Amino acid sequence: MTTVTKRRKISYWQRSSNVRTALLYLLPSIILFTVFVFYPMFRTIYLSFFLTDQAGEAAIFVGLENYTYLLESDAFLNSIKATFLFVLYTVPTGIIIALILALLANEKLRGIGFFRTIYASTMGVSVAASSVVWLFLFHPSVGMFNKFLNIFNLPQIEWLLDPTWALFSVSLSTIWLNTGFSFLIILGGLQNIDEYLYESARIDGASYWYRLKRITIPMLSPTLFFIITISLINAFQTFGQIDILTKGGPSQSTNLIVYSIYREAFINYQFGTASAQAVFLFICILIVTILQFKLGEKKVHYQ
Amino acid sequence: MRKSSKFGFLALLLLSLFALVACTNSDSSSSEKDGNEGETEKEVVTTEEGKTVISFWHAMSGAGQTSLDAIVADFNASQDKYEVQAEFQGSYEESLTKLRSVGGTKDAPAITQVFEVGTKYMIDSGFIEPIQNFIDKDKYDLSQLEENILNYYTVDDQLYSMPFNSSTPVMLYNKDAFKAAGLDPEKAPETFSEVIDAAAKLKTDDMKGFSMLTYGWFFEELVATQGGLYVNEENGRAGDATEATFNGPEGLNAFNFLDTMNKAGTFGNFGTNWDDIRAAFQSGKVAMYMDSSAGVKGIIDNAPFEVGAAYIPYADEVKRNGVVIGGASLWMSKGIAEAEQEAAWEFMKYLTTPEIQARWHLETGYFAINPSAYEEQNVKDAWEVTPQLKVTVDQLQSTEPSIATQGALISVFPESRQQIVTALENLYQGMDAQEALDAAAEGTNRAIEIANKTK
Repeated sequence: MTTVTKRRKISYWQRSSNVRTALLYLLPSIILFTVFVFYPMFRTIYLSFFLTDQAGEAAIFVGLENYTYLLESDAFLNSIKATFLFVLYTVPTGIIIALILALLANEKLRGIGFFRTIYASTMGVSVAASSVVWLFLFHPSVGMFNKFLNIFNLPQIEWLLDPTWALFSVSLSTIWLNTGFSFLIILGGLQNIDEYLYESARIDGASYWYRLKRITIPMLSPTLFFIITISLINAFQTFGQIDILTKGGPSQSTNLIVYSIYREAFINYQFGTASAQAVFLFICILIVTILQFKLGEKKVHYQ
Repeated sequence: MRKSSKFGFLALLLLSLFALVACTNSDSSSSEKDGNEGETEKEVVTTEEGKTVISFWHAMSGAGQTSLDAIVADFNASQDKYEVQAEFQGSYEESLTKLRSVGGTKDAPAITQVFEVGTKYMIDSGFIEPIQNFIDKDKYDLSQLEENILNYYTVDDQLYSMPFNSSTPVMLYNKDAFKAAGLDPEKAPETFSEVIDAAAKLKTDDMKGFSMLTYGWFFEELVATQGGLYVNEENGRAGDATEATFNGPEGLNAFNFLDTMNKAGTFGNFGTNWDDIRAAFQSGKVAMYMDSSAGVKGIIDNAPFEVGAAYIPYADEVKRNGVVIGGASLWMSKGIAEAEQEAAWEFMKYLTTPEIQARWHLETGYFAINPSAYEEQNVKDAWEVTPQLKVTVDQLQSTEPSIATQGALISVFPESRQQIVTALENLYQGMDAQEALDAAAEGTNRAIEIANKTK
């Protein structure tokens, strides 16, 4: 009996040695993740159940009151609506434009490298710098866009001051900004598609559109899936453009959730409600990503 | 077996994390205590020559920063005991957020510049040493400073911070446009209805009559000049305010004033950005607008036409009460070494001297908190050239001291200002004036309630 248990003990220690080695290797990343990801995340969840005092420390436990307040507050519901609209405006348009540009730039022509560089160039521009440029373009009295409209005797548009236009204007600058990155990723995907596939299709007499539909898009689907996921998450987390272009106004029409979190936490110093919003945003992104993996991944063709 | 041990580790990790999160509160409070106990061993940073070094956090950019840096350099050169290091910490909001994380510890800057609406927060924070203590100890003569500025920062007969950069709103107008519209360029409209009439006459295809930056401060001023209060409890000065009162008749007057012009198409909305509205004025898109006195000099220097400055308008049925001071003041930290506080006090006194104030006034357009600065020759000469600067000073000095013009004290001012911005934007989109105001008041009330609860 004793030998059996002894052997079992030894064998457990031995059998778990792989796990221990793995953990040892994982330790650096576990520590880093704990400090910079898990701790802040759990701290956010913890704070979302409290009202905070002037110093931002949890003061009064209110349970789920922060959440119920948010779901009843018109301002927050408006933020959710604005965020979803913003995602809807920017993600599909941005990816379609990037795809078209990538298809164009994938043609083997002389001097195509120049166009590839130009199309990808917005990737090198920071959000802040580009937003300032757009701010001038949208300027109500001396902006380029209004001057341009003026030439054609069209009515002036208050790009960033009219609630019906503001979200569109911010979306416009965001699409421009994000196209470079999407373009580069999609172009990379296109270059990876085996040339033989096209050659045999050409021999079979397939038209350009047929090849696009039957070869390019299916072969590109893992890349497209990746870029859609990334763009969606990015769109949900947009902050810089909003802060510089509109500060959430006019009439809260561009007050996206992340901006609303920032305002609640660092201008109003309400870390409790801000945390509740952050948790809500996290859940939103989680649901969207899960849905995407469940529904979208089926259509993805992995080689 | 292997699987369960894996989960075991994971569970342990999660558990320890929860413990960590839950402990943070008690941790931070105990470390605060440690900080207080360690007060005796506070070290003072000194330069090689033995000068006490203190840091000074400010939020001045542009011309303000250039001027302030030069003043600090002169102070450091003027004596051999103290060395002030001016550090730009971003906007008022940003620097206040940074202060919150170090306030009350020995790492806090000796002097911080905090905007006027942060006054109540700073007093309540416990981070600060009331400047009154040094005034009493040093028998510093406060009467030499501008009374209307001191009024704002005096709470319960104590001066908590040293006023520094102060500004008020003014109405600027395009004199050329006035001439073209057949109005007297030397006589600006004074009341709401006069402004409305003038705006209608000034409006052309390219030019709107009147505009106001969509910013809570201007609304506060329009309420105060009618003698209206922003919150209850005597504008929050008799005790902690519990309710907003800006949605009363005075606030409604101001909103109706804007609404009338907006509906008539004579009001130009140029958003929430100072530069945008200034660009609109300078490019002739609007004939009259409200700006800060601190911006007057820049506008006059850059406008291609003659600029007039006037007092801000008030409702026809009341008399003019005047303006509330805006801008920022300097706060001394508590919990730092005594030598550092001494240094901070010396620097503050230096800043209030007439020579420095005259220079500050001319270089930035902020008021001199020490009115004898206006007797300095360089100020007189400058006023000769740009008499508009004097208008801003006259408006401040003719203000009648009252609770209304003393300005409101609430700790949630930044939030309330946002509510006002939203209300103004909704008003311009056609919402009913009273409805927009009430929504803003409701939002402010909730913020006040939470602030009072968690205090």
